[in-house]
Amino acid sequence: MLLIRAIIRPEKTGIVLSELLSAGFPAVTKMDVYGRGKQKGIVIGDVQYDEIPKEMLLVVVKEEDKEDVVKVIMRNARTGEKGNFGDGRIFISQVLDAYTISTAKQGL
Amino acid sequence: MKEVMAFIRTNKVNRTKEALANAGFPAFCCRPCLGRGKKSLDATVLHYIMESGELPVSQVGEAFTETARLIPKRFFTIVIEDDQVDLAVKTIIKANQTGNPGDGKIFILPIEETYKVRTGETVL
Repeated sequence: MLLIRAIIRPEKTGIVLSELLSAGFPAVTKMDVYGRGKQKGIVIGDVQYDEIPKEMLLVVVKEEDKEDVVKVIMRNARTGEKGNFGDGRIFISQVLDAYTISTAKQGL
Repeated sequence: MKEVMAFIRTNKVNRTKEALANAGFPAFCCRPCLGRGKKSLDATVLHYIMESGELPVSQVGEAFTETARLIPKRFFTIVIEDDQVDLAVKTIIKANQTGNPGDGKIFILPIEETYKVRTGETVL
């Protein structure tokens, strides 16, 4: 199993969530985060903004579904044709085990 | 070392904290989040039934079709040694289980290294 952490623009979460649902990945967790990237935030005039609001989506999927989820997020979270700085990032990490609390069963 | 990530109901946080402390896991991190899980209901079928008028439109029916709605949850993380994972998972399940869908999920992730900021030591 893999944990996909996608940090995307807040205004793009709606479309990404509904596209994930129609792609067959209903289970998602969303939280508000603040951060900066390689561009060190945004500089407007003399002010540097380095705590830019973003939303983090957490999806845990089977290894074979990784490509699909990444593609769905990538396609929908991008702005414009080529994309812009600040569109976000996707991180993928290993998940060793999963449990459902209501049934105490192991596995996704 | 392992990271135990638990997504639980908001009204179970105090009980979970207490249960974890009693089991010997006082250290944790908790934050609010929104989420949705796997719903076994097919929204398109329900929409069709409602639009065709075979079923009276009710609040319950409307709630069923809202598959995309996000529900507020609490996101719990604890980092513990490998041999304590079973105990921690059991403790969280016992404190949170109501038997209904929506009780939450627990994920176990590997942790490569930890550092103590105060001393710079690489121990948990």
